[in-house]
Amino acid sequence: MRIVLAVIRREYLQRVKSKWFLVSTLAAPAFLIASMVIPILYETGQEENRRNLALVDETGVLADRVGPRLEEAGYNVEVAPAGSEDSLKAQALDGELGGFLVLGTDALASGHLTFYGSQGPGPIRGMTIRGVVVQSALEARIAETGSEVDLDALFQGGSMDLQILEEGAGGATEDEPAFVGVFIGSMLLYMVVLMYAAAVMRAALEEKTGRIVEILISSIRPWQLMLGKIVGVGSVGLTQLAVWILCGTLALTLGVPAAMASRPDLIDPEAISQALPNAGLVTLFFLLFLGGYFLYAAVYSAVGAMCSTEEEAQQAQFPVVIFLIAPVLFLMPVMENPGAPFSVIMSMIPFFSPVLLYARAGAGTVPFWQIGASLTLLYLSVWGVAWVAGRIYRVGILMQGKRPTLPELWRWVRET
Amino acid sequence: MSSSGLNGTPIKLKGVTKRFGTHTAVSSLDLEIPKGSVYGLLGPNGSGKTTTLRIMMGILLPDEGEVELLGGAPGVQQNDRVGYLPEERGVYRKMKVRDLLVFLGEIRGLGRGEAQKRAMDWLKRLDLAEWAEKRTQDLSKGMQQKVQFIGTVLHEPEILILDEPFSGLDPINQEVLEGIVREFQARGTTILFSTHLMDHAERLCERVCLISKAKKVLDSDLKQLKRRERKGLVAVEFTGDDSWLRGPEVTEILEVENGIHLVLKEGADHQGILRRGVDAGVRIDRFDLVEPRLHEIFVRHAGEPDNGGPLGSTGETSGKRGVR
Repeated sequence: MRIVLAVIRREYLQRVKSKWFLVSTLAAPAFLIASMVIPILYETGQEENRRNLALVDETGVLADRVGPRLEEAGYNVEVAPAGSEDSLKAQALDGELGGFLVLGTDALASGHLTFYGSQGPGPIRGMTIRGVVVQSALEARIAETGSEVDLDALFQGGSMDLQILEEGAGGATEDEPAFVGVFIGSMLLYMVVLMYAAAVMRAALEEKTGRIVEILISSIRPWQLMLGKIVGVGSVGLTQLAVWILCGTLALTLGVPAAMASRPDLIDPEAISQALPNAGLVTLFFLLFLGGYFLYAAVYSAVGAMCSTEEEAQQAQFPVVIFLIAPVLFLMPVMENPGAPFSVIMSMIPFFSPVLLYARAGAGTVPFWQIGASLTLLYLSVWGVAWVAGRIYRVGILMQGKRPTLPELWRWVRET
Repeated sequence: MSSSGLNGTPIKLKGVTKRFGTHTAVSSLDLEIPKGSVYGLLGPNGSGKTTTLRIMMGILLPDEGEVELLGGAPGVQQNDRVGYLPEERGVYRKMKVRDLLVFLGEIRGLGRGEAQKRAMDWLKRLDLAEWAEKRTQDLSKGMQQKVQFIGTVLHEPEILILDEPFSGLDPINQEVLEGIVREFQARGTTILFSTHLMDHAERLCERVCLISKAKKVLDSDLKQLKRRERKGLVAVEFTGDDSWLRGPEVTEILEVENGIHLVLKEGADHQGILRRGVDAGVRIDRFDLVEPRLHEIFVRHAGEPDNGGPLGSTGETSGKRGVR
């Protein structure tokens, strides 16, 4: 055990201390944070006045509806009487006003308006302004008929409750699944498993190409070396994930409120909270990450051990990559039909379940026994695959030269 | 600790054969390394030395025969009692020198603190202290080799198995290494090393085993071997006519730097020549049975012309010219 710990510590420290780790760990969140912070800084700094808008309403009925809606979207709106355009133009040119809107008489019929400003409002603001006018015009028209309509809800695309029917039970009500969040989660699983498991392959090669293995192998049993390397690289992966999750949490708790304060038109807090996975999904994510990582890491370490050069290993890993990519191809169909027999079967296959079980669980209700069965199969096959991989590793790690053929590999596995 | 001392032979090979495909690397080899001895495994390149050592370490399994290391089958269980320096020795290139040594000590059962301390002591001894915090890839090849040697002995093993420990070192460091080997010898460590450099073997070994083409050719105490092999070469220095040198016993007369070497016919007695010299009235300053150098013995037994080994043609006598 002490020997395995020494291998783990060596592997972990060597990787965490490298520049590559620092860059790849910090670059992703830095980019994410920069893409959030820079627009905010830009916004709050020099562009304060762009949010001051004046409104000239020639219809006589829209100002009361357009004004409050624009204020809600973060603008300061001042309603100006018709005929004040000249003084408004001067203010707009001074930079006091970001611009002014003239709602002509046709605004009620077609949603048409004119924006005056020293520069255009930009595509996103333009969309917001147009949307507000259209919604207000519709509202005014519907109000004439005396009907009651929740236009805000309609314009957000409506909503749908799900009633999952189970025999004998009352059925459970749940929120509509958040497709984007589940899709991102599944892809993230695929990426981290691929990234770190492939790193194990290069780690296994390190002893061979560096000709260190013979020094080690008189002191370490091959499985100890293999386990140490897999756990070491996996710990590096968890460290990196932890840093990223920490950054993500910081961005959500600090960044989003700040961003909302400056640009409410850009951020919909409800959409964000809907995209976030709940505690159950997070737990499942880590269980699947660990299972998938160990499964593929075992295979990859065997691939690394049977090759002698990096180039050879790149070729030899091809069949493994196919196993990893296959579930990504099935991702959309499985999310569309999470309960279909095809989806159920695919999410039970250990090499696919890390990506597909998560997709199913996120996209719909998966019976508890299926999650349990899928995870059990995954962890059992980790055991089996590690056993086979360990035997290949044991022989391969000392081999130099030609890559073994499949019959040779089979002999390595059988030999004691 | 005493299991190795039961019969005084910590390393034993019996009828060991190892084949790679159709090539036989080691052929029914018997070997017994006495406890506390310095044992040289000699042979030309490709003769099977490295394969033999790997079998001893349990890295390779023999196809036939038995191996015993410290009273048991070789394997990781003797880890902390054996130090093995393989011929293929690399380093973790990104690691710092001291971290690497501590790691090697740890996997051989040393505690971290103890490994740290011993690593620094050794680095100081081998003039590498200032490199302790440098990455191993910044070291020269010779320095890397010294670091590897430290890694091999850090846990103070009872047995040292060194595969070509001197190759790649400059003469000064070769001498340093020889000194350390002697030191371990004085402590009672059993040392087995392979080499194709006869000088080191000649200076260090008590016993040598010569293998050629996968087979054992010689296995003997070095002093006895030399005595056995010395018949047949006489060094002579004299002033006067040289006709007395010629006779039925002498097959060849060689001119060397400080005199003449006579090669005698097998089984011939040198007394007759000496008598002729005295009778001829020449002044004889030296008449000496020459101890053969290990190199010559090596070439004589392993260096047949069809051997193809690099040492087959570079015998000690090649620089000398016959005067007959």
